[in-house]
Amino acid sequence: MSAHVITAIARREITIALRRRLVKLLFLINLVPPIVMAVILIVNMAARQAGFDLEWDPLLRLLQIQAGPVLLLALGIGTPLVARDRREDVLFLYATRPVTAWSYTLGKTMAVAFPAVALLVVPGILIAILRQGLMEEFGLIDSLMLCGKVLVASTFMAWGYSGVTVGSSAATKKARWALFVAFLCFAIPGAVSKIIWGNDGYALDAGRAAEDLLAALFDGDFVRYGVVGALSLAVWGGLGAFVTAARVQREMRP
Amino acid sequence: MNETWIRIDNVRLSRGGRLVLEGITSELSGRAIGLVGANGAGKSTLIGALLGVLKVDSGSIRVLDLELPHMAMEVRARAGVMAEQAGVFPGGSGVDAVAFAGMLSGLSRREALRKAHRALDALDVGEERYRPVRGFSTGMRQRCKLAMSLVHDPEILILDEPTVGLDPAGRTQFLNLIRDLRDEGRRILVSTHIMQDADFLCDDILLLESGSVAYSGSINALVDTDVGMVVASGEGLDAAFAEALGQYGYSIRNQDGERIAFEPNDDRELHRFWQLAAERGAEVRLLGRELRSLEDAVVHAMKKARGGTVEH
Repeated sequence: MSAHVITAIARREITIALRRRLVKLLFLINLVPPIVMAVILIVNMAARQAGFDLEWDPLLRLLQIQAGPVLLLALGIGTPLVARDRREDVLFLYATRPVTAWSYTLGKTMAVAFPAVALLVVPGILIAILRQGLMEEFGLIDSLMLCGKVLVASTFMAWGYSGVTVGSSAATKKARWALFVAFLCFAIPGAVSKIIWGNDGYALDAGRAAEDLLAALFDGDFVRYGVVGALSLAVWGGLGAFVTAARVQREMRP
Repeated sequence: MNETWIRIDNVRLSRGGRLVLEGITSELSGRAIGLVGANGAGKSTLIGALLGVLKVDSGSIRVLDLELPHMAMEVRARAGVMAEQAGVFPGGSGVDAVAFAGMLSGLSRREALRKAHRALDALDVGEERYRPVRGFSTGMRQRCKLAMSLVHDPEILILDEPTVGLDPAGRTQFLNLIRDLRDEGRRILVSTHIMQDADFLCDDILLLESGSVAYSGSINALVDTDVGMVVASGEGLDAAFAEALGQYGYSIRNQDGERIAFEPNDDRELHRFWQLAAERGAEVRLLGRELRSLEDAVVHAMKKARGGTVEH
């Protein structure tokens, strides 16, 4: 497995994705929550100075809100990735180069995960820094801890989302079908969880898992649910990669 | 240049429970080798095995003295492959696709882009290189595929049906391009079922028939070693002469006016022909072996190889 190959594949896919209007739009949508949160943070600070405590953490809210647009972007980038290569019969073309099925899979996964991590981490850290600068009760250690939490949450979320989207893409030859498969990957496990545990059950789908992980990391509540959420995201990421590698391995042949 | 660069030793390969290659043994050393056979003969499968993509059941393969499949990545890094069934990397322009192919072979981004332009220049691809690949004509697509296989300066080129889908003018131009590459010193393996292409490009051929080797060696030897037909022309070589010749045991292939083509039982025994010509007062102006085309020689070799081969 070569890091050079993985990077080359990821970079090319991101470049191609950013040429599409839908992805450009989703990217712009992803910039809205950080801007809004920055404004809210300033309002929050002003309210405190006026003697009101809004008890509302903009960092947690940012990540909770940002999870939605990031998921949409992951779907926009990830669902056509493998389906297009399968439809165009270019998987054997990769096999004629020093590219393994796992290099290919990780390259595609990185193409989804990297923008997702960037769109969660960069605004998250900026808000954390802004919060430290504006609110006196936050010290450097607090801010570093927050940045670490942002990084952990973003990595798990990006890995889980990319697993769902790239794995769905490997299952079909059409992006729209991949989108449908990805939707099922969110809907079915969510429904199963509700049937087994009711409304307060453990998260089996990547969407709920991200919510539980964020709540556990930033609110400090329901740690057990957060751990299950992190595990769930890790499993979705691994499952997606495994499905993709297995499919690609089979089709990387003349 | 004449060192052996492909060694295949008693290779047997099955796919999906079906035996596709059986007992393939060959040592190939020509500058350009034709991998020839009918559709379904096992050409693409053998290419897959030569790249280490398909694992053999038994036997061994060495390419550039590298053992497969253990050294498959090394072989793929040193080979440029133009695959018939695979297209061009989708989603970008021609030059993007060629540069990406270079990056997958280990070139840096800048180097890949520079070499992509150089490869496309060498193949006479102009401003079209900046157009999206989905709008390419077959000819442009083939050039782009060839550029993708050349971008990293490979030691060997493996071309699978390179002229399929091209019009006659495009085909000639493309064959000339490949021959230029051969003359520059690259070692080339061309898989084709078009004998004219193999004849034009190759020194040696590996002829596959139903998954087995029907012939392996130089094209000249294949064309020359077969008995072939004898052609005679002159006065008196009419239908009656042909009939009489047939009674001597010669098989008559064609009789047309004053020209007769026949296959003697023994290449060296033509005295009966001369005897008959003397008896009937025929005036023979020309007698010689008809040089067969590669296509005829291949068909003959395939017929000889049939029987006891792999089922398809």
